[in-house]
Amino acid sequence: MKGAYWVQGAAAAALLLGSSVALAQQDGQGQGGTQEDMLAEEGGVLGGLRPGSTERIGAGTAFNPSISVILDGVYKNTFSGDAHEPGGFVAGHDHGHGHGHAHGMEEGFQLRETEFAFEASVDPYFDAFAMLVIEGTDTVDLEEAYFTTTSLPWGLQIKGGRFLSDIGYINRQHAHEWDFVDRPLVSEYLFGDHGLQDTGVQLNWLLPTRTYLKAGVEVLQGETSGIATFEGEMDVRPEWIVSEPDGSNPRRERTDAQDLPFDDASGPRLFTSFLKWGPDLGFDHAAQFGISGGYARAFQRMDEHSQGLRVETWDGDAWFAGVDAVYKYDGGGYLGQGDLTLQGEYFYRNIDTDFSYFNHEDANEWERGTAAADGTSGRFQQDGAYLQAVYGIAPRWRTGVRAEALGIAKNQAWHDRDEGNGFADFDTSYRYSLNTTFYPSHFSYLRAQVNLADFASDDPSNGDRHDEWSFMLQYNLSLGAHGAHPF
Amino acid sequence: MMPKRTILTGLLSAALAVAPAAQALDIAATTSNMGMLAKHVGGEHVDVTTMAPPDRDAHFLEARPSMMAAIRGADLVVSVGAELEDGWLPAAIRGANNPGVRAGQSGYFEAAAQVELLGGGGPADRSRGDVHPAGNPHVYLDPIRMGEVAEALAGRLANKDAANAETYESNARAFAERAEEHVAQWRESVDGAPGVVLYHADATYLLERLGVPDLDYLEPVPGVPPTGSHLRSLIRDLEGQDGVIIRYPYQREDHAQFVAEQLGWEYYTLMNGVEIGGDADDYFALLEQWVEALRSPLD
Repeated sequence: MKGAYWVQGAAAAALLLGSSVALAQQDGQGQGGTQEDMLAEEGGVLGGLRPGSTERIGAGTAFNPSISVILDGVYKNTFSGDAHEPGGFVAGHDHGHGHGHAHGMEEGFQLRETEFAFEASVDPYFDAFAMLVIEGTDTVDLEEAYFTTTSLPWGLQIKGGRFLSDIGYINRQHAHEWDFVDRPLVSEYLFGDHGLQDTGVQLNWLLPTRTYLKAGVEVLQGETSGIATFEGEMDVRPEWIVSEPDGSNPRRERTDAQDLPFDDASGPRLFTSFLKWGPDLGFDHAAQFGISGGYARAFQRMDEHSQGLRVETWDGDAWFAGVDAVYKYDGGGYLGQGDLTLQGEYFYRNIDTDFSYFNHEDANEWERGTAAADGTSGRFQQDGAYLQAVYGIAPRWRTGVRAEALGIAKNQAWHDRDEGNGFADFDTSYRYSLNTTFYPSHFSYLRAQVNLADFASDDPSNGDRHDEWSFMLQYNLSLGAHGAHPF
Repeated sequence: MMPKRTILTGLLSAALAVAPAAQALDIAATTSNMGMLAKHVGGEHVDVTTMAPPDRDAHFLEARPSMMAAIRGADLVVSVGAELEDGWLPAAIRGANNPGVRAGQSGYFEAAAQVELLGGGGPADRSRGDVHPAGNPHVYLDPIRMGEVAEALAGRLANKDAANAETYESNARAFAERAEEHVAQWRESVDGAPGVVLYHADATYLLERLGVPDLDYLEPVPGVPPTGSHLRSLIRDLEGQDGVIIRYPYQREDHAQFVAEQLGWEYYTLMNGVEIGGDADDYFALLEQWVEALRSPLD
């Protein structure tokens, strides 16, 4: 039998070869006719021999990574008030990097995030994962691109590349895994718009204990805005426009170069560690408790003010520490009914910076100072927390409540100096959220959420506090082969 | 250099100190049925941890720290497979830092990979629900297939622990023989049974084995809960026929009850897995309950 197939195959191959020659000839004569027509004609001549498969034999797409696309759209309406930004956190929040006011959500319809995830084994030694996120329609963020080792002994694993740090609980989750539409304030304002997202390596160790105990350290480049922002050694030559007294003949002038006194801390500059413990509580209950912290050996910022030709610098270091806990009750009800999840995190951040300013009165020399009306050196401490509960009110329906606070024990903004000699210590900002999510299947959900923001003012001359009520509708759809999530 | 080496040595010795002496093979089983089978085949030479309880839908679990801890030290992960545990097992294995139990390694064992699957080849299109184009994963209720799985598992255990190969083989054979005896007897006892309506196509292998028709499902498509219109059309289709309805404790009772009342049938609440730590006797007793329910319209 095999032999017969082989002969047939060879005949078909010969036929194909012949027909393509014929096709070329026909093309030369400027005549139409498809290859199939001709194959059929010749087939007639050759007495019913099939032309054979035109498939190219190979692994095809089988080696491609599993691909998933996650669509996420939000409608937002702020129907009462305007909370502005939480007091004490304005400049630390990607102020100078083009992210603009209140990162994330605008009023009305928006494609918040479209996530493209790719995942595959590389070889027997590595797995790799990459996720590209398109924010809105035109901003691409390489959310993650990392490898993990798959063959290290003793419960060890190395992760390398760009990844979401394993500090805390929600930090490593992508937006589609959240139980609320928006990122917790503590994650957004203490770390950054993407949490602690950085480039480097992680070593983690799952201890050989009967209960789950995982320890890890990360060595990161230090590019996360809230905790490890970096400027590096540089000099500035601001320019200004001069003109004749009647406004004619405008021209640019530049100052002399001024060297800015940043320590040139080469990377890696951010070091974190974490410990997670998951006691075995049987099949109905599960919990995980974590502690984590980190040290950034450079926390550097520069603000250039064109008015008065002034440059301000902050140069120092920063550290953070936090605790996180999550508890899940699996009630065994139909499609999640009766299930409960409790989740909370607290983080504390300490920034030590030396402030300098450099004034340049037009053509005069640079003049350096170390205290000014809007900047000072010192130790700046801020913290934040959230606590949330999500309950399965019916099969496929979950309702969640979340309470958040920012600047609880301390709220000292490194970029803001008080009228007196000290620096401003702002009030605590709060936010409360209530939502309901419907899961038509495992691959989609629809969510409605109401937020009440009660923020301390960042500018006390403009009122002490600001309230805001907003309403959000979200859809989230998962296409393709999206893998399971860790706890 | 010195401090680094000291730390590394410290870590290594700590790891070695706590590692259990390699006596019994450590097995992390996904469902209680797989735990039962692993224990039956391995006997005293294996320690089995079951990760999913029988009163939960194994489709819908979540990876948990306790699962990762179990897999961390396992010599072998025994799962039903064919994507049944896809929502949690891959994540649990990934989080367990145990290279030996990754798919493709000798520490990874899927029951579905050892037997012939039914219902494969459909379109990979989720508008048809939670479809499994590779085949129906629910092989665990067919005792004959479980016997084949037991024999494959015995081979795997022997591969890891050659000294007890004969024990594994004879344990597996005992299970397979017992399954054959039971099935011969059960086939007779359910002969002429009109069929069953389930929530989900998860007893297909048992029904096919016993020659009992799988009449319909309460779910309109796999993984999607029953709708009123689907139940009405199901009742219309089955009106005048005889049969039974079987549900699991984690599935809603009102749907089953409604359809049963409309059709004048009985409905039963059964398990599809043994209790944690259950043995082969419990497994065959469980199937006995299924047989009783299936043949009940004949009485």
